[in-house]
Amino acid sequence: MKRLAIIGGLVVTVLAVAVYRAKLSAEETQVRIDELRIAAQAEQAAIATLKADEAVLTRPERIGAIAQQQLGLEPANPDQYVAPEALKQRLGEEKLRLAPPASGATPQPQ
Amino acid sequence: MKAFAAPYRDVWGPRRARLVAAGLALVFAVIVGRSAYVAFNGPDRSAVPVAAIETARRADIVDRRGELLATTVEGVSLAVDPSAIWDSRDVVAGIRSVFPDLREDALTAMMADKKRQFAWVRRGLDNDQIAALKQLGVEGLLFVDEPQRRYPGGSLAGHFLGYTSVDGDGIEGIERVYDARLKQGGEPLQLSLDASVQFVVEEELNRAFEDFDMKGAAGIVVDAHSGAVRAIASWPQIDPSRRGEEGNDAKTNRALNARMELGSIYKPLTVAAAMEAGAVRPSDRFDVSRPVKIGGVTVRDLHPLTRVSGAAATAEDILAESSNIGASLIAQRIGPERQKAFLGAVGLLAGHGGEGPSWASPLLPQTWDQTAMATIAYGHGLSVSPLAFALAYTPFANGGNYVAPRFTEAVDPPSTAPRRVMSKRTADAVLAMMRTTVTQGSGKLADANGYDVAGKTGTAEKPTANGYDPERNITSFAAVFPASRPQFVVLVVLDEAQPRTGEQRTAAFTAASIAGRVIARAAPLLDVQPVLEATATRARAEADAR
Repeated sequence: MKRLAIIGGLVVTVLAVAVYRAKLSAEETQVRIDELRIAAQAEQAAIATLKADEAVLTRPERIGAIAQQQLGLEPANPDQYVAPEALKQRLGEEKLRLAPPASGATPQPQ
Repeated sequence: MKAFAAPYRDVWGPRRARLVAAGLALVFAVIVGRSAYVAFNGPDRSAVPVAAIETARRADIVDRRGELLATTVEGVSLAVDPSAIWDSRDVVAGIRSVFPDLREDALTAMMADKKRQFAWVRRGLDNDQIAALKQLGVEGLLFVDEPQRRYPGGSLAGHFLGYTSVDGDGIEGIERVYDARLKQGGEPLQLSLDASVQFVVEEELNRAFEDFDMKGAAGIVVDAHSGAVRAIASWPQIDPSRRGEEGNDAKTNRALNARMELGSIYKPLTVAAAMEAGAVRPSDRFDVSRPVKIGGVTVRDLHPLTRVSGAAATAEDILAESSNIGASLIAQRIGPERQKAFLGAVGLLAGHGGEGPSWASPLLPQTWDQTAMATIAYGHGLSVSPLAFALAYTPFANGGNYVAPRFTEAVDPPSTAPRRVMSKRTADAVLAMMRTTVTQGSGKLADANGYDVAGKTGTAEKPTANGYDPERNITSFAAVFPASRPQFVVLVVLDEAQPRTGEQRTAAFTAASIAGRVIARAAPLLDVQPVLEATATRARAEADAR
């Protein structure tokens, strides 16, 4: 009986230590989770701010003015559009004008 | 004494010991069992503190291409702790050096209440304000982190987007209409709006102010097949970040909430109603050479027809030269009842009860009699919101169907099917007449090169308590483009536009030119290919002219 009591006491002590350590580990994990959650929130907030900044910087009036002043770009004029059929015809004409390949020339593998 | 002779036997001792041992064993079993449960299943989820549950961040609002229109960022607000302030004069003076608009007496009263430990001073500080306040070095200031709504586009689509209160509740526009959805957080709310087209419309309305010094304006671009609203602008603009600090005149969304008599842009609807009823054919001729009395009103034209003889004008001539007499005579062939039914079918006699923002209900005549019929035929006597009117033109662009407006990008198939209000034949015939109005009639300034514009001008004197005022008018232009393969409806409305020197006070010189510029700039953004034949024809005509 005495031996049984000693063994039981030891088991209880071991279990108590194990439970304490598990609890401590859980608390540490919880702290880590909270830290990561806060960090994630901070990152999300930073992303939202950066997206807002990007949206401010890409406002049409700003981009339009820069494109016009620094690159000389203008809205497309309808005269600049070409129908696909006309493009094909034009490409065909360009092909006809190409010089024939030099005699003996063989196509190179690409 | 006998009783003392027998030795004492504690029969209960071992039993008590067993009982205690059993109790301990039970406790032991519970501890072991619970430890094993925790070891294998982890902690009880219900034990997570309430404070750890995050509140949803208000969802962003984006345009149809994903461009950010409204977002929520972490910001800083200023509060004070009056109980921690000994000398409020320094604090008040310091705060007012950064925010001169705050009243000194109100701040002093706030600081004097020593029982309070917290009071808001200003929500949503910018970085310069934060730096200036921190440099003050005064006591009792609290810098509170809190989410704040931002509108990166500034005033872009300001009326339509609306705004939230400082506490994040939607109180105007899309922010109010979709408040519950936005508060759930998650994916952005994707509007049907195209930010680039919206910008073009707003910039052209700003240019219209430089040209015509108008009092107000509205501009709308609608996809005639899906009902998607691609741009909806009201001028003067508002900045949603200011949360309605502008005056009431600026705050009114003229595209949605204003009711106007829009003038002769009703005439194509009058012609369509009569053709659909079989009462008028394109070849029918009307005598518009002299005023005509219908009901209690004598209808006159501002000028005689120039294209043809006024004694034999077709519906096309009547539209091209905007004859009030002709429109009234056409309406007379169908009568008030059928006219009213047709205008009801194209959505002009009721407000909007569907998805998204509502618009102003129309102002109807008290009695829809012959007099009302004659004036409504050319756009007087019936006041509607500009958006309602723009939608009434969608049948001309899609073969005869009225489509309900759509304010968000479709996630599910549309809940309402298009409603046929006229035959394709009628729609195409009236569209062709409107194209003639642009090429040969009052809408020439709207003819954006390569985009085959069809449309109609409208000039309506403004009603006052003493009748109509000829010095103040609403000028408008309603258009469909490109006429050869119609895709979009555009409506431009200018309130009290002043004519340029030497020009008339009519839409032909004001709203038509603005609509033409909007179409020329918006069409490429809407992926509308130019009508190359039209471009070539115009180039040939210009070459011939040279």
